[in-house]
Amino acid sequence: MAKARPRKARMVGKSEFDPFTLEIIREGLVAIGDEMFVTMQRTSMSTIIYEVLDYAVGLTDAQGRLITQGNGVTLFLGTLDFGVRSVLDKHGAANLKPGDIYITNDPYSGGGTHLSDVSILAPIFYNGRLVAFAANKGHWTEVGGMAAGSWTTNSTEVFQEGLQFPCIKLFDQGEPVQSLLDIIRANVRTPDMSIGDMYAQVASMRIAERRFREMCDKYGVDLVLRGIEALLDHGEELTRQELKKLPDGEYEAVDTIDDDGIGNGPFEVRVKVTIDGDRIVCDFTGSHAQVPGPVNCARTGLYSAARAVLMALTDPSIPASDGCFRALEVICPEGTIFTCRRPAPVSTYWETMLYAADLICKAMAPVLPGRLPAGHFLSVCGTIVAGLHPDTGQLFLLVEPQAGGWGAGADKDGENGLVCVGDGETYVIPVEVCETRYGVLVDQFALDITEGGSGKSRGGRGLVRDYRITGDEAWFTGTFGRFKYLPWGMQGGAQGSRNYTQILFADGRPPEIFGKAAQFHLEKGDVARLITGTGGGYGNALERAVEKVQSDVKNGYITLQEAEKSYGVVLHATTLEVEELTDGRKT
Amino acid sequence: MRVASDIGGTFTDLAYLDEATGRVGMTKVSTTPADFAEAVVGTLRKAEVDVPRTSFFVHGSTVIINALTERKGAVTALITTQGFRDVLEIGRANRPDIYNMSYTKPKPFVPRYLRREVHERVNYKGEELTPLNEADVRQAVERILAEGAQAIAVCFLHSYANPSHEIECGEIVNQVAPDIPLTLSHQITQEWREYERTSTAVLNSYVHPIAREYLDQLERDLVAMGMDRRVLHVMQSNGGSATFESGKRFPINLVESGPVAGVIGAAHIGDLIGEANVISLDIGGTTAKTSLVEKGTPKITTEYKIEQRRDTAGYPILAPTVDIVEIGAGGGSIAWIDRAGALRVGPVSAGAAPGPACYGWGGDQPTVTDANVLAGRINPAYFLGGEIPLNVQRAEAAMRPIADAFHLSIEDAAMGVIRIADANMINALKLVSVRRGYDPRDFVLIAFGGGGAMHAGALMRELRIKKTLIPTEPAVFSAWGMLMTDLRRDYIRTLITRTDNVNPARLNTIYAELEAQALRDLTAEGVPEGDMDFRRFADMRYAGQEHTVKVRLPAGAIDDRAMPDINERFHALHEQTYTFRLETPVELVNYHLTAVGRVKKPEFRKLDGRGGVLADSRKGARRVNFDELGFAEAAIYERERLPVGAVVKGPAVVEEPASTTVVFPDQKLTRDEFGFLHIEMVG
Repeated sequence: MAKARPRKARMVGKSEFDPFTLEIIREGLVAIGDEMFVTMQRTSMSTIIYEVLDYAVGLTDAQGRLITQGNGVTLFLGTLDFGVRSVLDKHGAANLKPGDIYITNDPYSGGGTHLSDVSILAPIFYNGRLVAFAANKGHWTEVGGMAAGSWTTNSTEVFQEGLQFPCIKLFDQGEPVQSLLDIIRANVRTPDMSIGDMYAQVASMRIAERRFREMCDKYGVDLVLRGIEALLDHGEELTRQELKKLPDGEYEAVDTIDDDGIGNGPFEVRVKVTIDGDRIVCDFTGSHAQVPGPVNCARTGLYSAARAVLMALTDPSIPASDGCFRALEVICPEGTIFTCRRPAPVSTYWETMLYAADLICKAMAPVLPGRLPAGHFLSVCGTIVAGLHPDTGQLFLLVEPQAGGWGAGADKDGENGLVCVGDGETYVIPVEVCETRYGVLVDQFALDITEGGSGKSRGGRGLVRDYRITGDEAWFTGTFGRFKYLPWGMQGGAQGSRNYTQILFADGRPPEIFGKAAQFHLEKGDVARLITGTGGGYGNALERAVEKVQSDVKNGYITLQEAEKSYGVVLHATTLEVEELTDGRKT
Repeated sequence: MRVASDIGGTFTDLAYLDEATGRVGMTKVSTTPADFAEAVVGTLRKAEVDVPRTSFFVHGSTVIINALTERKGAVTALITTQGFRDVLEIGRANRPDIYNMSYTKPKPFVPRYLRREVHERVNYKGEELTPLNEADVRQAVERILAEGAQAIAVCFLHSYANPSHEIECGEIVNQVAPDIPLTLSHQITQEWREYERTSTAVLNSYVHPIAREYLDQLERDLVAMGMDRRVLHVMQSNGGSATFESGKRFPINLVESGPVAGVIGAAHIGDLIGEANVISLDIGGTTAKTSLVEKGTPKITTEYKIEQRRDTAGYPILAPTVDIVEIGAGGGSIAWIDRAGALRVGPVSAGAAPGPACYGWGGDQPTVTDANVLAGRINPAYFLGGEIPLNVQRAEAAMRPIADAFHLSIEDAAMGVIRIADANMINALKLVSVRRGYDPRDFVLIAFGGGGAMHAGALMRELRIKKTLIPTEPAVFSAWGMLMTDLRRDYIRTLITRTDNVNPARLNTIYAELEAQALRDLTAEGVPEGDMDFRRFADMRYAGQEHTVKVRLPAGAIDDRAMPDINERFHALHEQTYTFRLETPVELVNYHLTAVGRVKKPEFRKLDGRGGVLADSRKGARRVNFDELGFAEAAIYERERLPVGAVVKGPAVVEEPASTTVVFPDQKLTRDEFGFLHIEMVG
């Protein structure tokens, strides 16, 4: 049992409240987050929500401080509380009424990311007093704009990227603002889906409000609010304790973003992480200025990335709350690729946000080799396939992330086929669902065995997924970062392999390969082959145990050629007996 | 003679009912892992059951789930569609432990070199695009055998829409390797989602040899004792029983066979006392399990996973399973202080060894049982009827660090531990009730397991449940519940159709086909047609949604006039569950038929008007902690001596050898004519 003693003034003393109530309120709040999450998933209208779980739900206190958050997507960790604060800033607490619900997707403030990620925010009242907020941010498949699916790789200003909701009322004291719903219906390509997802978000708000009020009924509102205060302090305490275990110092990392989707780039980005006792500072000063194409990230994304990695650096099992973030400071001047200004295009902002997370990992991995593995495929590898379903004639939009290879760690091989750091409890779409709902045939869904990621611990394998178009035509949009600059290896491990799309044409034209493309035209029988990268290796490949190399070849995780070339082990082609060890391995 | 046998990790329980005399008996012996049948035989001997007179034998066990979790199954190979052998390894690619950069995916049960691809392809409409390549299959099987595989699973894309390639493949496998255990995915489930279906087929093959061996052995031993082979049944996860033959072919249906029996038992007790809506609560040493029964019907899920936790993805099994919520809060759950000084209870348990500190077997961590001893709720001299004398000093010593850390008395610390355990259980109870749109006040709580009766009084107060029922011999209630099971099979088929353009004739055809299949299967199991009961369900949703709600459909021919009723049933259920309804068109997704072969139920003899006076059952009094109602001098009663119908007013404690029932000061308790205890709120 832990010997740690609580701070007396805060947690003990019968005049305050007992430690048991604190635990009970904590569990109750987590349960509210879980229930909001499930409600959203089970009622939503689009695969990006119900299969991919591209959303986050949570509660903040009356000041907008995050209490609890249920995430499908890891890097939505800065979106909910900033969203609530924008409601408070713009409308003022005094003007909020029970039954009001606000909507925002402003990328440059208020927890915004890109226009497709729509936040719904609702004040919760108890006996007429504002006590908390319910918040929900979800990826709508359609918010209008220049391209089907709304996000694209070739926009040059935010006005092309869809409808903007500048923190306005969606429900007024329980009644939907019909004129706003009409505007949404008129401006998005799949109104039933977008409005359906909006109702799923609202349902999760109502559940949260009902449960929070029940908790106040049971324990008394004052006790609940004091419990929340103590919980935030508890999160802070746990986080600071973990930070104290890290060696003080400055840790730096530099990396390169391929391009901006419209021909500019590469762009250098950097971080300096300072660990100072029980606090951490992430300084991105010196990173590239904002760019013409839509890979720009705004401050919410940057904070989300830093917060998520903070959880990874400390203890991933601590419930994320505002308390945890008190130890974190994020520094970055305005106008960089991480902190762009209106009206910079942002529709594939996540490509850059992921670099912010990866940079901190890269800087800290040498200090925490058991916790932070080598670089992974990193990109969401987001894809949109749009077209008319050959059986129904209706517009389909297949929007999804791809899974790929993760980096090797000191004690483990990298994971094969896992969603990137930006995604979390995020699911790939089943082939059978995909073929039924969308006009494609999937020819293969498999590990991609290519050169890369060798090491004493091996990088995990990326995937290959083929979409054969079954309708007369379709359009493909894809944004695969790390097409040019590969996942990093550690301690002598090799770097991983690249992410890319290969188009195979039915008419026999030579294939095309690219990292990013917008509305690429495909015809019946053409194949979009989506390939994600292998993660970086850890340690010298020549030190990998021979039996592991044999097993890898037997299972087809590496080829005979790679066993010889990278691992220095020559195996018999059929028996897999060791025939020879190369010179490198002998020394 | 009806006999139920339940193999658990520690004990093998037996419950039996002599239909001639109405006598119900129970017994238990230690489980014998080297040969599980031995303990079953042992219980039959110990209870002196007249084995040849057995008219129905039903068996549940943890053997299958243990074979899975301990990875003791067969070396299994997979044959699948060209291009898709990695589906099993990729899974759904999710990272449930979202901030953990070193997350490790669940390892597939079939290594990559034993996953073989063959050319064949069917599309989502069930149309053949590429015929099955026979040579591919032969070569795959030969390679698999050469690598030492002991079992094979086959899963092809879209086999739920057209299983002919799987069937054809199965025939070829049988030619090449006639004796190898084989699972074709469509035999278990005809639902879409290739990873989940593949996982199900693979896990079935993985446990197939173990299940067959152990059920064969049990069958031999029971037949040798004079039991008729035709009366042998296994308990399935869906809450019904099936023949041993079926259990051997589809052991994956037996994964939850132990826990579901308690739910079925609770449903039947509800039936017996005229309460169709009940919540079951089974509190054991390590976990608490709860499930909701509405209108006599347990809730079934087809999204079951083993080894799924908050931080790991687990393995899906697409077998209908009674929807049970299980949490790590039981008598052995350990209380601890986290790094920042907050008190936690569970999920780590002291288990059977070393057990709670008060057992005196070397445990020094404070557990929920220790807290219950310190709160005066457990009688230290009467635990398991006095078999294990409990050591109060050890319980105190174990609780002291917690008391010290919070500057509390030992008594207050113990009460805090109980309160947190109760709160965890309440969250589980809410998960099956309020969070699915049910008000617990409309339900009767049926509490069992070693700890159910101890905590039920507090939980019902908190949830404002009006009545709680404690069955006879609550510690072996699962075996008792098995006595009540019917034969049951579930048939599920996926075919997506909108209700606004569905042809009712199509629906009639589908249900007719499912019912014909059910009729054949149950007839083969010896059920007379008059004892068959078919229930139709449809999984429905709004067009565009993915997830469905399960709607009960009326029996008989479905015509155009029936459709508005079916739609309305869906809208109402959706609103109840998720707070809203939409104008959007509605889709039918899965057609689900539940086929029940009713087995003659034991008739419970009522207790023989046992009169007597309450005072005769009173053993004494002691000081008991009733939480916010404070300490009170509670009267102590012996359960077996309580007169039928007499009212015990709280504060009180009713003791029996394997369980303790706590009655709060604002509650009363009566023993009914069946011997069940009823706890009710007063006023």
